Amino acid sequence: MSQSEAPIALDIDQLSVVFDTPDGSLSAVNDFSLAIRRGECVGVVGESGAGKSQSFLAVMGLLAANARVSGQARLGTEPLIDRDVAELNRFRGVKLSMIFQDPMTSLTPHMTVGEQIAESIIHHLGSSAEAARARALALLEQVQVTDAPRRLDQYPHELSGGMRQRVMIAIALACDPEVLIADEPTTALDVTIQAQILSLLATLKRERGMAMALITHDLGVVAGIADRVAVMYAGRVVELGTVHEVLKAPKHPYTAALLASMPRIDDSGTGPLPAIGGQPPNPRRLPAGCAFGPRCAKADALCRTDRPPLVGPGPGEGTRSVACHHPLQGTHHSREM
Amino acid sequence: MLSYALRRIAGVIPTLFIIITLSFFVIRIAPGGPFDDEQTLPPEIKANLEAAYGLDKPLLEQYGRYLAGLVQGDFGPSFKFKDFSVTELIAQGLPVSLMLGLSAVLLALLVGIPLGTLAALRQNSPTDYGIMSVAVLGIALPGFVTGPLFALVFGLHLRWFPVAGWEAGEFRYLVLPVVTLALPVIAYIARLTRGSLLEVLRTNHVRTARAKGLPERRVILKHALRPALLPVVSYLGPATAFVITGSLVVETVFGLPGSGRYLVQGAINRDYTLVMGMIVVYGSLTLTLNLIADLLYGWLDPRVRYD
Repeated sequence: MSQSEAPIALDIDQLSVVFDTPDGSLSAVNDFSLAIRRGECVGVVGESGAGKSQSFLAVMGLLAANARVSGQARLGTEPLIDRDVAELNRFRGVKLSMIFQDPMTSLTPHMTVGEQIAESIIHHLGSSAEAARARALALLEQVQVTDAPRRLDQYPHELSGGMRQRVMIAIALACDPEVLIADEPTTALDVTIQAQILSLLATLKRERGMAMALITHDLGVVAGIADRVAVMYAGRVVELGTVHEVLKAPKHPYTAALLASMPRIDDSGTGPLPAIGGQPPNPRRLPAGCAFGPRCAKADALCRTDRPPLVGPGPGEGTRSVACHHPLQGTHHSREM
Repeated sequence: MLSYALRRIAGVIPTLFIIITLSFFVIRIAPGGPFDDEQTLPPEIKANLEAAYGLDKPLLEQYGRYLAGLVQGDFGPSFKFKDFSVTELIAQGLPVSLMLGLSAVLLALLVGIPLGTLAALRQNSPTDYGIMSVAVLGIALPGFVTGPLFALVFGLHLRWFPVAGWEAGEFRYLVLPVVTLALPVIAYIARLTRGSLLEVLRTNHVRTARAKGLPERRVILKHALRPALLPVVSYLGPATAFVITGSLVVETVFGLPGSGRYLVQGAINRDYTLVMGMIVVYGSLTLTLNLIADLLYGWLDPRVRYD
C-alpha cells in the first residue's frame, strides 16, 4: 500500500479508559493501540459498548469527568493525553477534528450555521469576520450543501439531518485538520444520504491527504471507504488488517461472526439472519481469558484462562494482527459461526 | 415575530377582563362595606353615602358602570381617602413601587445568573456549596425577617444606609429595601441557572464546541449559557408576582410611600375601587412581564420563534 510509507499522523499507544461509577469502576477501553498514517482511513468497528467512541473521545480530551485515561496518544509528536484544556485547544478543531454521530443535537441551536463554522476559523486562524464568512461559504459548497449562501444565515433547526451532518463536516474541516475522527457519521441518516456523506468523506480524505478514523458498527461502510479496519470487542482490538484481508478472510471468530450476521445481497433470503449468541461481557466483570470466549464455538480451556494478545503478522503473512488462540485459517468466511 | 407579539398583546385583554370580573364580584361577596366602621353610621347617612357612590344600584349595573369608567382610564373615587381619586393615589405610589420592584428584579438577574454560573462551573466545590447554602437560606427567609435584620445591622449599627425613608428615591434609601426584596429572587435564579447550566454542559452541542478547541470561557458564554437561561426567563413572570407581594412587606418595613399599602388598606377598608385599581395595575404588570418572558424565549432559542 502506498500509505505504508506515509508519516504517522495519529499514534494511539496502549490507551485505556476506566470510568469510576457509584457501582465500582468500569473498564471501557483496554490497551488500545492504533497508528493512522497520513492519507489513510482506518475503520474502527464493533458492537455498541465495544469502546470505539470512548477511545477517540479520550484522544480528543472529551470524556466525561469520571473517566480515567492511561496510555498515550500522539498527534505527530505532540502528546494528547493528560494535557490541560488550554494546551489541547491548540490542536482540537485545528489539526485534530471530530464529527459526531448525532447531527440533530450536535449543533448549537441558537447560532447560525455560518457563525458556527466561522467561529473556529476566527479563533484559530485569526481571520477577520468577513474572511471567515467567505471561507465558511466555500466549505459549505465543498461539502455540497445546496443553496449555500442562504444556509449561512439559517439556524440548524431549519436544515435537514443530512444537511446538518454536512455542516458538522464543514465545521470539522474548517481549519484543514491533519486528522479527522468520524464517529458514526452516517448512523442517524437514511441510506441514500449515508452513501452521499461517505463518498464525500472519501473524496475529502483523498484530496486533503487527511488521516481518518471512521468509527462505525457497519462493516458495509468500512468496506466502502476504509483502507484498514480495526475490530474491537470489549474494549480491545481483536483483529487489525487491511479491509480486503479482514473482510475476505477474517481470522478472529468474532470478526467472522460479525460478517456472518450481515445480510447479503446474493442471499436467497430464506431463513433467519445468523446472530451472535450470548451477550457482550459486562465491562465491570470482564472474563479472565478471552472476552469473546463465552460466545465462541472454538473456545477451549486455554481461552478461558489466558487472554490472547494481539499478535502481529509474521514475515510474509501480510499486515494482519489478530488476538486469538485459535485463529481461523479459511480464506473465505463461512456462516457457521 | 411581530405578529406573534401583537397576538399575545391582544390575548392579554381577555385575561385582564376575567381578572377584573372575578375580583369585582369576589370583593363584593366579602362581608361588610366601605362605610361599616366601628361607630355605626345612622342608616339615613349610610344610605345617602351609598347613593352618592352608586352602591345602592344593582350589582350588575355597578359592574357595568365600573367597566365603562375603566375603558376611559377612570378608576373611580376612593371610598376612604376622601378627595382623592384612585388614579391619583396610584399615580403617587406606583412609581415608588415600580422603582423598587424593577430594581429588585434587575438586581436579581445581574447577581443570580453569575452566581449560578459560577456554582455550576465549580460543581461540588466549596464555592458551589457556599453559594447554594446561602441560596437556600435566601429562599427560606421571608422579607419581614431579613428586612428588619438589615435595617438593624446596616442601618442602625454600621450606619451605612438609612434605616427607613424614601427621600424621592435617593440611592442610599433604595439599597436596603431593594436588597431585601431581591434576595429570595437572587437565590432562586442562582439555583435555576446552576441546575440548567449543568444540564446544558452535558449536551452534544457543547461537546461540539469543545471539540472545536474553543476556550472554555467562550464555550460557556457563547454556546451553553443562552439555552441554560430559558428556565430563568420562564421564572420572570412568577418572580414579578413575588416581588409585588413582597413589596407590601418591604414598603411597610422601610416606611416607603409605595402603592403596596393601598392594596392591604383598601382590602381591609373594603375600599372597593382602590382594591380594583390595584388589581388592574398589578395584573397588567404581571401579564406584561409574562409577555416579555415569552418574547425573550424566542430570542434565546430560535426554535421557539413563533409565527
